[in-house]
Amino acid sequence: MFEDHEIITTIEMVKNEHLDVRAVTLGVSLFDCISHDLDRFKKNIRAKIIGHASELKSVCDQVGDKYGIQVVNKRISISPVALVGAAFSPDQMVEIAHELNDIAKTVDIDFIGGFSALVEKGMAAGDKALIAALPRALAETQRVCASVNVATTKAGINMDAVLLMAKAIKQAAALTADADGLACAKLCVFANIPEDMPFMAGAFLGVGVADAVINVGVSGPGVVKRAIERNLENGPLTLGAIAEVIKRTACKVTRVGELIGREVAANLGIRFGVVDLSLAPTPTVGDSIGEIFQALGLSHIGVPGSTAALAMLNDAVKKGGAFASSHVGGLSGAFIPVSEDLNIAHAAHQGFLSLEKLEALTSVCSVGLDMVPVPGDITEETLAGIIADEMAIGMINAKTTATRIIPVPGKKAGDSVYFGGLLGEARVMAVPHMEQTNAFVRHGGRIPAPIHSLKN
Amino acid sequence: MNRFIITVLAKDRPGIIALVTKVLYELECNLENVNQMILQDQFAGLFLVDAPADLTRDRLHADLDVQTQNSGLVIHVTSLDEKNGAPMGGTGDIFLITTIGPDQKGLVARFSAIIARYHANIINLKAVFKGGPDPRNNVMSYQIWVTPDLDTAAMFGDLRQKAEELGLDIRIQHKNIFDAINKI
Repeated sequence: MFEDHEIITTIEMVKNEHLDVRAVTLGVSLFDCISHDLDRFKKNIRAKIIGHASELKSVCDQVGDKYGIQVVNKRISISPVALVGAAFSPDQMVEIAHELNDIAKTVDIDFIGGFSALVEKGMAAGDKALIAALPRALAETQRVCASVNVATTKAGINMDAVLLMAKAIKQAAALTADADGLACAKLCVFANIPEDMPFMAGAFLGVGVADAVINVGVSGPGVVKRAIERNLENGPLTLGAIAEVIKRTACKVTRVGELIGREVAANLGIRFGVVDLSLAPTPTVGDSIGEIFQALGLSHIGVPGSTAALAMLNDAVKKGGAFASSHVGGLSGAFIPVSEDLNIAHAAHQGFLSLEKLEALTSVCSVGLDMVPVPGDITEETLAGIIADEMAIGMINAKTTATRIIPVPGKKAGDSVYFGGLLGEARVMAVPHMEQTNAFVRHGGRIPAPIHSLKN
Repeated sequence: MNRFIITVLAKDRPGIIALVTKVLYELECNLENVNQMILQDQFAGLFLVDAPADLTRDRLHADLDVQTQNSGLVIHVTSLDEKNGAPMGGTGDIFLITTIGPDQKGLVARFSAIIARYHANIINLKAVFKGGPDPRNNVMSYQIWVTPDLDTAAMFGDLRQKAEELGLDIRIQHKNIFDAINKI
């Protein structure tokens, strides 16, 4: 039996505080689909993915309905295409992207991730083909997401790949100039990419996991914000006490994700993988990370104190998640995607949040420079420099970092950009000194792994 | 096993449970379960006891009446063997149906009629209507036991339609979601 407040609290979390299961992501290994013949490869991956995913959407909807918690996005992650399609040319890679896009439409899922390569220590033929194919693959499809891991703490930073990715991002933006460079919103560059992340655009299925697995991404920034506000309404709290409130709330939200994920997995007859509690916003008032900063007493995200607040938030979320589930994975922390969070986008537009401050914030949170629109005339070298800086934060701190930067063709700092849906809208952020030459990134080679990577 | 359910109703005041349990103790009855609630100023308590083999229902009732006379308690004793029907068991699920919105005459009657039509069993019902904007003051919550053979989709559809007709916000959720969030 439940107390009145337990019933009302649960309903309020769902109804007014936007608690939902942000993504149920079905991971499918494609290693048993490998073939040198493109048609056969496409036939194999179609049969394998549809075989596992044909019921994914209906099962997610049934389970969501049973618990009164919406499963917002149903997604698929696959083995890195650069590995399973290593035999193919760039043009053939684009064909594979079209096939994946069509499969995603067939099973009616939002995104399919794994058009990916892992190149932190060097690039093989398949990696080069995939990176060369990225601009067309992302511009010509709607549901395919791509990621390239260019750095790890163990391997260092592959600067050749960083520069290639900067070029690919510029080309992808140019091919979707009429949509504000939308293709770049489906492309992440990573350091220390997790192999079990359910969130896009970086989701892929690692090589050390099962043949098929269900990973769940839970969000809930609105729930955390309201929990902080409710507790502060009762009187002042120390930051230690506020961190405890966040931790307890994160624990509850994670348990919801695991409940839903395990039932979806059981109904599909597929192994359950991890639950990833990442505070991921949507462009909706009340579903914002930026609003959490304001609940904590900061006027806007980006003002002094923001990095400390984010460090506390990220850590408390991880602790709550770890207490709730033994199978926490993915990123599990706080996201700060600029265009996807109304409050963060406004803070950037009003000058409280700069690119440099964003970079500082990424040293203590889950992802990195995420959904950041920059001027379209940014040079490849400057873009590569920004990516390299972000990768260095990940490499040195043994954490995941990423960039999802959109050079918006024809637009300058302060101009409006609109991506639509969950991708949101924002103003183009200024990039200081972007006109300067940058020979550093053209040296190429690999920035060596840090000394603390030598743990064996 | 010689088990009884003792129902006690009274105007609430200190000492009711002490009075009843003292009698039960003196009769060497073992308390297996007790559940009590207070609605407005009225006390209602249910006592499940395992009694000595030679203690009859009539003697237990008589002793309770004598020992609590002039205390204003209304007491009823039922032998579990006398109860009709089997206790709830077997496979099934518990769902919580919660409506939020202002009071209207016949709300409980209309929702419970739908639940009864589908042969689902209400195992707990709470209703609070005090008015005002706070949802906690205008809420009905049914916990219902649903067996696998029951057409839940049709029943939930009828309940949602009724709520819409009455202008109520309705939530139907499996109990496990409340466990996940609240029972840590």
